[in-house]
Amino acid sequence: MKMRVTVISPEAAVFDGEADAVTAPAFDGQIGILANHAPLMTVLGDGTLVIRAGGSSRRFHVNGGFLQVVQNTVRVLAEQVEAVSDAA
Amino acid sequence: MASSKALKGRIRSVTNTRKITRTMELVATSKLKRAQDRVIAARPYADALRSVIADLVTPELAEQFPLLRQPLPPAKGGPARAVLILLTSNRGLAGGFNANLIKEARRRITALEAEGYTVELIGVGKKGVGYFKYVGRTFASERPDIGDRPTAEHAGSLVETLVEEFAAGTIGVVELVQSQFISVMDSPPATVRILPVAAPAQGTREGIRHDYILSPDPATLLEKVLPLYVRNMVYRGLVETVAAEQAARRTAMKNATDNAGDIIDALKRTYNRQRQAQITQEIAELVGGAAALQG
Repeated sequence: MKMRVTVISPEAAVFDGEADAVTAPAFDGQIGILANHAPLMTVLGDGTLVIRAGGSSRRFHVNGGFLQVVQNTVRVLAEQVEAVSDAA
Repeated sequence: MASSKALKGRIRSVTNTRKITRTMELVATSKLKRAQDRVIAARPYADALRSVIADLVTPELAEQFPLLRQPLPPAKGGPARAVLILLTSNRGLAGGFNANLIKEARRRITALEAEGYTVELIGVGKKGVGYFKYVGRTFASERPDIGDRPTAEHAGSLVETLVEEFAAGTIGVVELVQSQFISVMDSPPATVRILPVAAPAQGTREGIRHDYILSPDPATLLEKVLPLYVRNMVYRGLVETVAAEQAARRTAMKNATDNAGDIIDALKRTYNRQRQAQITQEIAELVGGAAALQG
């Protein structure tokens, strides 16, 4: 089961693709999102966003902004986004 | 009629000017491309933000949010300060670009003052600042540093204090005079009302209101999201204005290059006709002289 994930900064779309799981730094702690999550909206804090697809994962450092889950689509709108190298 | 030496000098000078305008045209074209890409890249964020706010805002919430609330007009005792952010370019030679923005700003200032506001100006770009200083207006702040590559941080630094002051009720309205970048050929000046925030119409997407799990509560969420929306409106204004500036400069420089070509053609024609006339006259003198000797 997959879901669509988009990571957008004010200046550009940083990531757009399919994923199995997303771990995001919400304002009050990490949250994990799998496919077919219920609609959700939350504010992001400062931390690492992990997008897992198959065996690989992409990491981004995000700060501020918010996250929205609707109709199996995760949208991360972050004020600051920085890709972290795929060392994980 | 100008002497042939003077004509030669003019041809050379116009040719040099044409070289400059052509180079500027090429530079503007490449900058326009990049500026256009940035306008396009900024769209998904703005669209997403708009749809999220549309999902969050309810009439009850709109009432309690200072950023969404329409303050009383000054005539009825509301705050009398209005802030106008004027976006212009740092450099000229872009045709009517800056003049159009300045005209739009003057129109808005007159309209706001007629409503009883005291207008404070914030100037981005030297051209607008220069004009309004010339006509004797002062600026609350000047930002010539933003230039060709505006970032979201620039936008944030422009509106941060304005958002606070608006929420505290000391500012009645904040407007942004920018260029709308509709296409390369069409980028009219426009005034966008930044504060109070006009909440996007809700339920536009398929008419469904999703049953969100909201964390934290909707009021806190909206409090976080609205300032982002305000910043984003300003950021969009900045990137669109930069793109419009480059488009205007490219058109202006293309026209200048074409005109220089026409002038060079006309000057060369005059120069050649004069040279021909001189040669003809010299031959006539020679023939006349020889005839006189033989006679």
